[in-house]
Amino acid sequence: MNRQEPHLDPELDALLEVGRFVPPVPEIVRVRTLSRARATVAAMAILPREPISTVRRRGLPLALAASLALATGAAVATAALLGRAPSSGTPAPPAIKHPEQPMHPDTLEVPPPSPMVEPTPTFTSKPQRSPRPTSAQESYAAELDLLARAQVACASREFSNALVLVAEHGRKFPSGRLAEEREALRVRALEGAGRTEEARRAAASFASRFPRSIMVPRQGGDPR
Amino acid sequence: MGYLRLAHSAPPAPTPEGACLAAFEGEIDYVFTTLKRLGAAPHEIEDLVQEIFVVLYRHWRTLDTDRPIRPYLFGVAYRILYAHHRRHAKEVLYADIDREDGAVSPEGSLQGKQSIALLMAALKHLPMSRRAVVVMHDLDEVPIADIARNLSITRFGAYARLRKGRRELAAAVRRLSRGEARA
Repeated sequence: MNRQEPHLDPELDALLEVGRFVPPVPEIVRVRTLSRARATVAAMAILPREPISTVRRRGLPLALAASLALATGAAVATAALLGRAPSSGTPAPPAIKHPEQPMHPDTLEVPPPSPMVEPTPTFTSKPQRSPRPTSAQESYAAELDLLARAQVACASREFSNALVLVAEHGRKFPSGRLAEEREALRVRALEGAGRTEEARRAAASFASRFPRSIMVPRQGGDPR
Repeated sequence: MGYLRLAHSAPPAPTPEGACLAAFEGEIDYVFTTLKRLGAAPHEIEDLVQEIFVVLYRHWRTLDTDRPIRPYLFGVAYRILYAHHRRHAKEVLYADIDREDGAVSPEGSLQGKQSIALLMAALKHLPMSRRAVVVMHDLDEVPIADIARNLSITRFGAYARLRKGRRELAAAVRRLSRGEARA
């Protein structure tokens, strides 16, 4: 069916002709938009595509514990066969490259923690629980994971969830390596949640804390 | 006599994520302009662009990339902006649009700039549903069939919106031009 198109006023036609031009966005806005897009890609690569079901979530620690016990048992048995006790100095296997690693290494530089089995005391009735030292890489990965989730929540307009995650990051890593991104995200989430006054205060504190940040003009609600 | 020829190594196979980002990067200007034409307030455009990217990224694997991507992006932008306005229904629609963006700038010496400002101001007088069809058809030059598909409306509905939208746009342009001339 080729329907007759409605007649267009020549004056309007001339105006529309001018309006067809697509102006380029400023370079800084382009860079900011693309970096946010890359962060979203990185965040979505970390997060599971579908939420884990309750049954699977409950089963996960069990499966993890079982595999850990099996691995420990195997290590003990191997050590007994070789006639020496397993030591904590066992070299860790090489870090496995995640198969679904996104293509932007600048956003996700941290390899997943190596699957090293910790030796556990076998014949003690009450195992001593010592706090596991967190390596710099692990803490960075944890930071990234938290902020990635906050970023996704923000992009999905779930601002209150984003604020919860931002607050959690602030509690766990008050001066973490991603503090700047966290504070920028806080301003955006507050703004999105309609808490304008708090957003303004957070933006002011952001600007004073990170005066050279690329995100400063945006937080100020300035032109893009 | 033999000669050396430069042998290029094969380019790395593009990943779906890379292809999606590249497509998005190529259309950033269009997405920003579309949101402006649809009446998004300047301060919310970047967040809306991000939402559009999230939708594009989520559907990238199922998207028919042989077709032009602009009509699809327009459809996404329209839906996101529509939902956004519905969420903020308590606020007065377009009340927060920057004056500079909508009104004809008195300093605007260039005829083109004035024309664009006039067009944008006139577009704001159209309801969202008709504005989308007018922008898509008359500015993006998308065929009616594609408009109907991307906005999930019938062709008849698309024609009806276009007809009425153009009438409203012409009336708004006349009204604004008269006001401008009087001022």
